[in-house]
Amino acid sequence: MRWVIRRLITAAITIFASITIVFFLIRVMPGNPIDVMVAQLIMQGLDPEEAYRRVLAIVPFVPTDPLWKQYIDYMRGVLSGDLGRSILYAAPVTQILIYGIPWTVFLISISLIISFSLGIVLGMYIAYKRGGILDRFFSVFSSVTRAIPPYVIAVLVIIILGVQLKLFWDPYRGPIIGPYDPRLKPGFTLEFISSVFYYATLPILSYVLTTFGIWVLQMKSSTVSVLGEYYIMAAEARGLPERRIVISYVGRNAILPLFTSLAIAIGHIFSGSVFIETVFSYPGIGRYISASIGGRDYMVISGCFLIITIAVVLSNLIADLLYSKLDPRIRFR
Amino acid sequence: MSQQKVIISVRNLTVEFRVPRGILRAVDGLDLDVYEGEVLGLVGESGCGKSVFAHALLKLVDINGYIKSGKVIFDGTKDVYSLGKKELREYRWKDVALIFQGAFNSLNPVMKVFDHMVDTVLAHEKNVSSEEIKKRSIELLKMVRLDPETVLGRYPHELSGGMKQRTVSAMALLLRPKVLILDEPTSALDVLTQKFFIRILKDLRKEFGLTMIFITHDLATVAEIADRVAIMYGGTIVEIGNVEDIFYRSRHPYTRALLNAIPSIVGDISKLKPLPGPLPDPVNPPPGCGFHPRCPYAIQICREVRPELERIDAVSFVACHRWRELKFD
Ligand SMILES: Nc1ncnc2c1ncn2[C@@H]1O[C@H](COP(=O)(O)OP(=O)(O)O)[C@@H](O)[C@H]1O
Ligand code: SF4
Ligand SMILES: [Mg+2]
Repeated sequence: MRWVIRRLITAAITIFASITIVFFLIRVMPGNPIDVMVAQLIMQGLDPEEAYRRVLAIVPFVPTDPLWKQYIDYMRGVLSGDLGRSILYAAPVTQILIYGIPWTVFLISISLIISFSLGIVLGMYIAYKRGGILDRFFSVFSSVTRAIPPYVIAVLVIIILGVQLKLFWDPYRGPIIGPYDPRLKPGFTLEFISSVFYYATLPILSYVLTTFGIWVLQMKSSTVSVLGEYYIMAAEARGLPERRIVISYVGRNAILPLFTSLAIAIGHIFSGSVFIETVFSYPGIGRYISASIGGRDYMVISGCFLIITIAVVLSNLIADLLYSKLDPRIRFR
Repeated sequence: MSQQKVIISVRNLTVEFRVPRGILRAVDGLDLDVYEGEVLGLVGESGCGKSVFAHALLKLVDINGYIKSGKVIFDGTKDVYSLGKKELREYRWKDVALIFQGAFNSLNPVMKVFDHMVDTVLAHEKNVSSEEIKKRSIELLKMVRLDPETVLGRYPHELSGGMKQRTVSAMALLLRPKVLILDEPTSALDVLTQKFFIRILKDLRKEFGLTMIFITHDLATVAEIADRVAIMYGGTIVEIGNVEDIFYRSRHPYTRALLNAIPSIVGDISKLKPLPGPLPDPVNPPPGCGFHPRCPYAIQICREVRPELERIDAVSFVACHRWRELKFD
């Protein structure tokens, strides 16, 4: 229990520290972001006075105050949920994040579950059939998918399944991209929900295609090393049914080291969604990241960075707690 | 030895592994009969193929290996290598149980001891209640002098080496097997625990009338517990006999060398090299008698023809061209 509390405190400190770093990056980074934002607005035709006032309304602190006071204002803002305003979308950053997070979580968690499960099953199968056709196929497959940049695969998926085969094609609007059919009214209707899933199919497919080969390889090598353990031969010696050995002896142990990678993947749920959401115009955090970087929308950038940090820290925390449940050897460390 | 019923009969057993250098022959045309109720000590230098042989008795081979040829007949009729999947599962542990050399690693790290017991029993007997399994486990754990209540609820890593060893031994007896193979059960234990464990084994033998194949480096232990001793060299048995015959009247030059190298029989052969010259390379074994490169008595025929394991009396066998003529004393 004390260990859990210690981990919680570490997590809180990490998040706190990263907020601090973000603040100082914005404030003291060379090419002062405040000046950049003012200059941007001036170039859009505002007079300097007006531009400066706009920027003041955007950032949750007063740039002329002493640095420590700005820091305290900023911190207070963050804690009360005020992350400043976006210049691109003319909306509070918090509102943008609240809108974007569910889309990303929906898209990437489904993709991750499919990719991970596929990797576990195939990886184990290949480990058992080492040197077989599927084994050789996957060595090639995963080096190919690793060599091709992910967005190229996403574009290929759109071209083949959308444009060529017309499986994901809207006669009026072209290939299916975006979060759902814009002609529908969002709500808990069957029509809307099925549209959401239909629109999510290609991004999920692209994500799975680019990532599951790595899970397969990891699971394969983990399984191979577990298969060499004495306790597997010992289980066979005791005459246990094959199914029992495969699942509770081989699988259960082989999957353990993959949880670390899974935690990392979950932690990167927002940062890893950039290419998919950009290619598919999907309104999640990933797309706001690329848009805000492109448009120098500093408060959105820092808000996204905060979300990414929280995701990484939380997933590590959960992984640690979960891991100690899954691996009894860790429990007393 | 009054009853001479053969419980395990091994004929011409050869086990090979694929290794980067080629084919490694770990067990090479091995013949052996094990009699019901006896304790057979199996002795040989490290790497001579004892563990591979023990595993092969249960048709277990590492993934890069295979049983090239041979037969293992259990109880006169059961041809182990032609059993179907289901019969093989039944044969394992119920007829022949094995305490691995790596007993310390032969428990699933993510499962409690009790779950191992449950798995083991349920694999062979349907409709046994959890209480019944618990009762049986407690009985056996007590017999190996462990505190059942604590051990059953523990994970393997929470047990000491000696405790694991005894836990695995209790597990080996869960189904009351006819034959128990122990692969160097004492070599990883400290001296006190070793003595303790041997005492437990003797009790168990009395209790269950087990047939045991006791693989070891330690000749003192063999002298204490075994009825007969088989000497293994280069993947095959070179001599078998009663304990006294092997220790005081051995006929094979290798056995002689092994014993002579040890100041008294209270020696552990793992720590000394009985003879000059390297062990035979199992990837390129010497032709003829496997021992000829190191044998002081080798003659031409030894380099060309492999000696058969020959019966020389009711319980003794030797594989040497010159056993009749050689006088060692
Ligand atoms: N899985 C394996 N792959 C390759 N060689 C092996 C394997 N297992 C055992 N061997 C080799 O077989 C020979 C006999 O090994 P083993 O039976 O473990 O000897 P020991 O008599 O010490 O128990 C050794 O040369 C060993 O290196
Ligand atoms: S057969 Fe020849 S080489 Fe082999 S042990 Fe006998 S005398 Fe020595
Ligand atoms: Mg061994």
